[in-house]
Amino acid sequence: MEDKKNGDDSLQTYDKPSTELEPKKDIAESCPAALEDVRPIATEAEKPAALEATKQANADRPPLLPAGHEPRRDEEASPVAASSVSAKKRQSFFAERPLPAIEMAPRILRYRSRRDFLVFGTGALAVLTGAGFLLPQETLSRIGIHRSMDSPAKEWFLNRALRIDDDVAEALYSANRKVPTYTKSQITPLKNNYNGATPDPGYISGWKLTLDGLDSGLIISLDIRSIQARFPVHEQITRLVCVEGWSAIAWWAGLRFDDLLRAYPPMSQAKWALVESSVNLDASGNPDPYFMALDLATGRHPQTLLATHFNGEPLTVDHGAPLRLLVPVKLGLKNVKAITKITYVAEEPRDYWAERGYSRYDGI
Amino acid sequence: MRLKFQRESLLVAPPQGAKSTSTLPEQPGVLVVSKHHFLVRWSHWLNIPLLLGLILSGISIYWASPIYQHNPDPSTGNTDVAADIGIWICAHVPGLHHYNSPPDWIYNHMSLGPGMLGLALRLHWFCAYLFMLNGMVYVAGLLSGGGWRSLLPRVTDFWDAFRMFRYYVGLPFAKLARREWPHPVFKTKYNALQRAAYFSVPVAGFLSAATGWAIHKPMQLHWLAALFGGYNAARVWHFWLMWVYIQFVVPHVVLVFADGWDTLRSMIVGWSTRVERSEVTANGG
Repeated sequence: MEDKKNGDDSLQTYDKPSTELEPKKDIAESCPAALEDVRPIATEAEKPAALEATKQANADRPPLLPAGHEPRRDEEASPVAASSVSAKKRQSFFAERPLPAIEMAPRILRYRSRRDFLVFGTGALAVLTGAGFLLPQETLSRIGIHRSMDSPAKEWFLNRALRIDDDVAEALYSANRKVPTYTKSQITPLKNNYNGATPDPGYISGWKLTLDGLDSGLIISLDIRSIQARFPVHEQITRLVCVEGWSAIAWWAGLRFDDLLRAYPPMSQAKWALVESSVNLDASGNPDPYFMALDLATGRHPQTLLATHFNGEPLTVDHGAPLRLLVPVKLGLKNVKAITKITYVAEEPRDYWAERGYSRYDGI
Repeated sequence: MRLKFQRESLLVAPPQGAKSTSTLPEQPGVLVVSKHHFLVRWSHWLNIPLLLGLILSGISIYWASPIYQHNPDPSTGNTDVAADIGIWICAHVPGLHHYNSPPDWIYNHMSLGPGMLGLALRLHWFCAYLFMLNGMVYVAGLLSGGGWRSLLPRVTDFWDAFRMFRYYVGLPFAKLARREWPHPVFKTKYNALQRAAYFSVPVAGFLSAATGWAIHKPMQLHWLAALFGGYNAARVWHFWLMWVYIQFVVPHVVLVFADGWDTLRSMIVGWSTRVERSEVTANGG
């Protein structure tokens, strides 16, 4: 900041070749007369003036240094300045400029250095404290910090950062922007990434989709035949992106979520859908119902499907038979398999992975 | 801290007004050059915790789905090349034979840890936003301090970089043989190798942010992902850009210490007493 504040245009050639010197406020502190000594000498083109002014100044200046220094400087300064006059080359805008030379009283230099070292040292301590505060407990204990650093403040802070990222994702979303589609030759294998064990296919025969929070006030129950008979089929070859980083291009077919919303309108104040699957299992095979919050704006996107077919075949149990959500503008974890219930609500509902430290909106 | 001023060569008198007849006590000043704008200095140091946080959390994220995988190993079922490296290290480095989980060695030592994707993602976004802000601060510092001009590559850099490279390669041998090995003379703020490094690291920073966005929002910013060759290619870019920083940091730190206290100090206080290095000829560009 001080560089800007004091950086006037007055430059002065000194004993070193083409080193230019700016009179600074620091000097003014030790020698108030210095600020009067302002000679605007800026570019190479103006060098003759610079030379002239320097010579005058040197001639006029009362000798402050031991006499031995003074003439030597004049002798050295003149030929160099003269040679740059003869060059008379205008510097291009991109050409490197000489670093601005400043004359400083040693006292002030020491004071400033001490101040800068203290400020930067404090900053380093603050960063270390911040790292201790923010790093996962497991990482800290690996480097020998076993004291528990977990706190509600830490959770709040990091979740706040996640929320900002979610807000950015929501701002980037556009209802009219479609995700890229691919050709059948670009299809890649899609692994079964059920979080826990894959459910036993026994549930499929008795499967029903329940709709709650409807405008009609009714609770609707639909089987897969009536869903497939009632709605037009849409196909798309899109990429599914997992939060883990992998992705797969697959050919999906099913009804648009938007068509279901039109056929069974949600209650007017609803802004969210809570999409649930009661058949999910944890790693050891115990029931672990899955629940996911989907904003209805995304639900109405033309590429948000309730998929019934995968790569031309009816969904297998691996991929969420008989009906799964396919929402390519969201991370894979929002693409709920084997949906059993959709509830329309006004407030943001619970979300399985958001409760486990992941983001909530998950728009990609 | 004691400042070491080159009093003899740098003593100059404070400039005096032409008509002033100063009666103040004689206090000679020290000639210094202002080298780094304070925004550049702050953003420079902030890069250390931010890049460290990004790399450590990034490798934890990498653990969840490594980009370099092979067919499952028949005995262990392992597919991750990084895990293979950990297994190799534990098998060959003395004292690590009884390491309890060799496939996790890399992740235990070069990341926040394995199996913490959610925590790593949170920290990665947090550091990434700060890193992008910091990059803007750095650019603002370069622009307002005029430092950007010293970073621009020039045509003469190819030959000059070769001279510097030859100097560094020959230096240890010259030291051993007690031979003179003069440092090539440059009249610019940085030599050609430095300029190449200090120019490419901000470019790498920009590309890291761009590939990061391409991976983070491959649908809304699908044009950006396409620019890097698609979503999967952008992940590979993002991974190797990390190595640019690692490749840069090691010689950077070694050479700063080799160059001396003035160079390190100038990144804290902003000025340098090496006035002679600030000389730039009129046609230096």
